[in-house]
Amino acid sequence: MTIASERVLVPVHATRRASLSVLLDRQDVFSWLMMALPLAFLVALVGYPFFYGILLSLQDRPVAHAGTFVGLKNFVTNAHDPIFWQAAINTFVYTGVATLLKMVGGLGLALAMNQHFRMKNLVRALLLLPFIVPTVLSTVAWLWMLDPAFSVVNRLLVALGWPKPGPSWLGDPTLAMASIIIINTWRGLPFYGITLLAGLQTVPSELYEAASIDGAGGWERFRFITLPLLRPIILIVTLFSVIFTFADFQLVYVLTHGGPANATQLFATYAFDIAMGAGQLGLGASVALAMLPALALLIVALTIYLRRE
Amino acid sequence: MTMSATNHPTTRRGFLKVAAAGTAAALSRAVPAAAAEKTITILHESSFIKPFDEYVVNTLAPAYEKETGIKVNYEVTSVGSLPTRISTIAETGSGADITMNGLLQVIQFSNKYLDVGDIADDVGKAQGGWYDAGREAVVVEGKWKAIPFSNIGQLMNWRTDWFAEVGVKKFPETWEELYDVGKKLKAKDHPFGFELGHGFGDNHGWLYPLLWSYGGSEVAADGKTVVIDSDETARAVDFCRKFFKDTMLDDVLGWTDVSNNKAWMAEQISCTNNAESILWFAKREFPEIGKVTDQAMNPAGPKGRFHLLNSISHSIFSFSPVKEEARAFMRWLMAPKQLGGWYAIADSYYQPLLHGYDNAPMWNVEPRNLPYREALANAHLPGWPAPASRQLAESVAKYVVIDMFAKACAGTSTKDVIKVAASQLKDIYRSA
Repeated sequence: MTIASERVLVPVHATRRASLSVLLDRQDVFSWLMMALPLAFLVALVGYPFFYGILLSLQDRPVAHAGTFVGLKNFVTNAHDPIFWQAAINTFVYTGVATLLKMVGGLGLALAMNQHFRMKNLVRALLLLPFIVPTVLSTVAWLWMLDPAFSVVNRLLVALGWPKPGPSWLGDPTLAMASIIIINTWRGLPFYGITLLAGLQTVPSELYEAASIDGAGGWERFRFITLPLLRPIILIVTLFSVIFTFADFQLVYVLTHGGPANATQLFATYAFDIAMGAGQLGLGASVALAMLPALALLIVALTIYLRRE
Repeated sequence: MTMSATNHPTTRRGFLKVAAAGTAAALSRAVPAAAAEKTITILHESSFIKPFDEYVVNTLAPAYEKETGIKVNYEVTSVGSLPTRISTIAETGSGADITMNGLLQVIQFSNKYLDVGDIADDVGKAQGGWYDAGREAVVVEGKWKAIPFSNIGQLMNWRTDWFAEVGVKKFPETWEELYDVGKKLKAKDHPFGFELGHGFGDNHGWLYPLLWSYGGSEVAADGKTVVIDSDETARAVDFCRKFFKDTMLDDVLGWTDVSNNKAWMAEQISCTNNAESILWFAKREFPEIGKVTDQAMNPAGPKGRFHLLNSISHSIFSFSPVKEEARAFMRWLMAPKQLGGWYAIADSYYQPLLHGYDNAPMWNVEPRNLPYREALANAHLPGWPAPASRQLAESVAKYVVIDMFAKACAGTSTKDVIKVAASQLKDIYRSA
């Protein structure tokens, strides 16, 4: 009996092992298996907070109190809130202008860095500095530079005859918005520059040589060779940049805290003020979530475009 | 090599023996240690007065541990981050046993705080009784949810030398008189600098009192009826606009709380509204400026003189595993010996809310700080005359009143700024 049963068991074991290895050999199974861990990671660290955020936005949820479901009431409140709309406009202006400046400036920077000159590598490394320095630190430095009493720019302007104490960079609503855009551009430019530089270096030099032989000038070479070949990279960098800029927080929080009179209030800073300052977690979450449709639309559009390329 | 060694039976057995003995020893030592080493964690916002925080770490905590064997862990969080930190602790139910509160936290977190009425009663009885202002910020629905610690008053800081240049030896009594002086001083390149931007304190510190002194307020005493749209508010806004235009730097519209301190030390402004820290810092770092810095109560308006209540207090979290120990610690901390020492270390930056300290020696250290004591009599929370509420916290966080004034200063009409503020406040107080 024992012997017989053992004899029977052996092939069963073998079949099981065989079927397991066959199963593992199947690509669809194996790929899912490999993806299980990162997926679990994403669900825990991205999915959970995201869905919790959605849940919060549908509640009246004062901090330290239990929430009550209120449906879309928070979103209706936002729709009637003038600061919400101001933050929305500000966020779009801030993201739009800063991204455009970074794109144009970054391309210029990459083109310049692609030339041959002495100490090229050192200069390239130094270029990354604004990106490497912690934002809060560099922003505090800007805070001093934008203070009329200490600003080099103001001293220069006053010396040139501008009435004392010179422009109020953070006190004037338009200048304040311009200031945060400039600082964001300063900080984000290296990211663009270095990434586009990497792209530039993959453009085969034969193409330029061939074009030159055909009589193409500098502008034509840029317009018909460099730009088309760089386009996929420009798109991806822009996508990242828009996401980062849209959800920017630190810069405004340190520099103006949304002032003067909400002239620099962004979605992220306003959501923080409502959730943490006012202790209205539900309403704060609804402000933060208002960023979602615009960003999602942009990401979908860019992805479709990239797929088609 | 390693393989064969671990596979060797004696080595493995030997290892097990050592491990077992070690675990037993660790366990036998751990049990009494855990019973003796109780820790109370107290969360505080970093003080502008350095010795104040050091006094807890170097003097109070060691003294308490020596007396009771209980460790006191003093956790300091950066200025401005206290609300966020308390939110995290209250939401997760762990992180600290006692916390300091700023202006609005008692209201927001009251259901996570223990009723400490018994301690407050005893402390009050023993030390001359509480100021009304002390009670205003900590009593929620009839229960003391925190023990008041002090006020950090926001008052007028002025340059005596420059005021003297235009013939002013004593700080003006009314806003209008201050306006006249400011106009003359701005002409002499010594403008005023009052924060009109999105800081945490130096904006509220003068704009709410200005509103009240003209008879305006954001909400009625019932805490529901929005009353900002009034002739009194309009007069305050009109005054603020001309006060800004004729006495101040343009930059104040974008200021945050550090800005006026910076401007003061750079000798850019001749008058501002700030806590005592300006004088404290000037005396130590810029003694020449310290000599010509003086302080005064806020000017009066047609309806009186007001100040912003900017009190801090201490609460015990209801989920603390060492509640009773925390209560005992608070009783000890609020006893005259400890409390008096702690107050004294910061001159009078922290103004006691107990009448027993009205004539304490701490007030003699710097007579220029005496107005801070007088100011307690008419200091109120931003939503005054309504009691503290969640709605008031929201209005402060959204800078409704601040921006009403700021927008008027930047050029919007009085009617329009009040209209916007009224509609915002109605949305906020609808839930009351």
